[in-house]
Amino acid sequence: MKKMKVLSFFIINILAVFFWGCPGNNPPEPYQPTPYTIDIPKGFPTNLNIPEDNPMTEEGVELGRYLFYDGRLSGRTHPDSLMSCATCHPQGNSFEAGIDNPRFPGGIVFGMHGDTTHHVMLPMINLVWNFSGYGWNGFIWPENPNPDFRNIEDMVRAAVLAHDEIDGDTNRIKALFQNLPGYPELFAKAFGTDQIQFTHIEKAIAQFVRTLISANSKFDRYLRGEEQLSQSELQGYVLFTTEEGADCFHCHGGAGNPLFTTHLFYNNGKDTLFTDPADRYAITNKTSDIGAYKATTLRNIEFQAPYMHDGRFKTLEEVIDFYSEGLKNTPYVNPLMHHVADGGVRLTPQEKANLLNFIKTLRDDEFLVNPDFSKPDKFPDERK
Amino acid sequence: MKISRIVILPVLAVLWVLLNASSCNEPDNPEPESGKIKFVFDHTVDGQPVEFDKMIYENEAGNPYLVNEIQYFVSDFRLWKDGNALLLDKWEDIHYVDTDLPETRSYSPADDVPAGTFDSITFVFGITKEKNQSFMFVNPPESFMFWPEYLGGGYHYMKLNGKWKDLQEVVRPFNFHMGIGQIYNDSDEITGFVQNYFTVSLPNSNFVMEAQKATLVTITMNIEQWFKEPNLWDFNYWGGDIMENQEAMHTAKDNGHNVFTVKVED
Repeated sequence: MKKMKVLSFFIINILAVFFWGCPGNNPPEPYQPTPYTIDIPKGFPTNLNIPEDNPMTEEGVELGRYLFYDGRLSGRTHPDSLMSCATCHPQGNSFEAGIDNPRFPGGIVFGMHGDTTHHVMLPMINLVWNFSGYGWNGFIWPENPNPDFRNIEDMVRAAVLAHDEIDGDTNRIKALFQNLPGYPELFAKAFGTDQIQFTHIEKAIAQFVRTLISANSKFDRYLRGEEQLSQSELQGYVLFTTEEGADCFHCHGGAGNPLFTTHLFYNNGKDTLFTDPADRYAITNKTSDIGAYKATTLRNIEFQAPYMHDGRFKTLEEVIDFYSEGLKNTPYVNPLMHHVADGGVRLTPQEKANLLNFIKTLRDDEFLVNPDFSKPDKFPDERK
Repeated sequence: MKISRIVILPVLAVLWVLLNASSCNEPDNPEPESGKIKFVFDHTVDGQPVEFDKMIYENEAGNPYLVNEIQYFVSDFRLWKDGNALLLDKWEDIHYVDTDLPETRSYSPADDVPAGTFDSITFVFGITKEKNQSFMFVNPPESFMFWPEYLGGGYHYMKLNGKWKDLQEVVRPFNFHMGIGQIYNDSDEITGFVQNYFTVSLPNSNFVMEAQKATLVTITMNIEQWFKEPNLWDFNYWGGDIMENQEAMHTAKDNGHNVFTVKVED
């Protein structure tokens, strides 16, 4: 009897190990993602544009980084058909194509089929603080009555689906990543299921994009008391922040608004005829928004050429010349362009040089090489 | 020992009953002897709600003009009674108004207002020197109002943006911006700063605050008054920008005392 009891005990244990102890039959790990905390730089806004239905997690950001760089985001595997966010948004050029990009001459990007995008690129910097709309006319904004056009997640989907960008098919993309070893596990860690949904792809990439923070330019270090600006740079900053100078700050910020943009929309006096069907007026139907576009951040602006929504200016010198002498007065020009009737702010050559030197203090080299933002060494399916 | 216990215990029992009986007479939630106040901000030209971006107005100097947007700070709301002031919300009382942002057009102080009759309401247009500290607002839209350090720091009191038609019929933008002024020497160097905030005493702003009631105070900015009295404001003289022109901001400040009117409703 005693022997039988001992035998039964061993048999039950062996069966238990057999059924529950095998690696493939482990009960699924509980979904417990690790919250991702954004370290808000001193002086930056504390309000962050993080949707309630897409909280930041370490796992989501990690997955988003893979997807941002994985050319199979196009839903295709042929080497000629690979396209991801990073194809047009390389880190080394501050996540812009750049005017010297060998693939996109002049910095004019085109999609899978060779069609150029309607507008040139916008900086992908500090977007976690943008509440005023994405795109040159802000067609994606948080309060949009259309829930499909509200945030970075929707911008990701729009870029993947757009004919002049990736021109992807969501079902094909889902199926492709579902069958790439390693990816389903990352989706499970990030979103609690290894059954990939396209909304999870959008959310993961959006989480990664929200981590792209630039806050360590020479000007930032100057504000922190870590570095001094040259006399020319300081004089340029005075011009930047004075109405009788270049008066850039009302739209492009300064020490008190370290985003170096208001993220708002202005007709800045570029044209007298307005034929673009995708200006701000297309969104608001307000006549004061005819010919108006988003004021871009000036952080890393030296990498962002070509400039303006249509890329008409190739250099910062051309931009400064435009604001100095090239403004055109129309009924639609924003009142903040208060020198418009005189053609511009009328800077001397020395003042232009000083202003340019200040603007270049907004260059953040650390942002260009930050390993947290860079392409992973291997994609999940390449790991052994 | 036994005797004293016999005496003390009934006494304690009676005291306990009396204490409980007296506490039962007190209501659980006493009626508050105070009410709430809410400020709403309206903007008019010549008595009518302002119509933005339309060149339909003419100021006292004969300048045709339009209004594009108005953004400003009001602070230090005080309710006066018998010469004494009740300051609402203390350091939390800097309120931003933006004609583009409807949610900013009302301000409900957190502080309760004791019931009673009040003689008048005053507030500060802009922000006092004590409170107007650079970098205190990190979030938009308030942070977009920063006033450059070089020009005195802190925040714009107001941005009133629009356009006027000059003598040659050229339409020119104006940025009627107010904030800390500067004193310049002959070499055009800044040698000092001038505080341009001012206290607005609202005429006919006496009211009765009833307990448990809400009082609505509508404060109207009569925009034409900025350009009317006591100083006639001619855009052709002052030009389109005044942040670096203390004389212009002082002139605007003088006119600002007459800009606001009030209507109080229970």
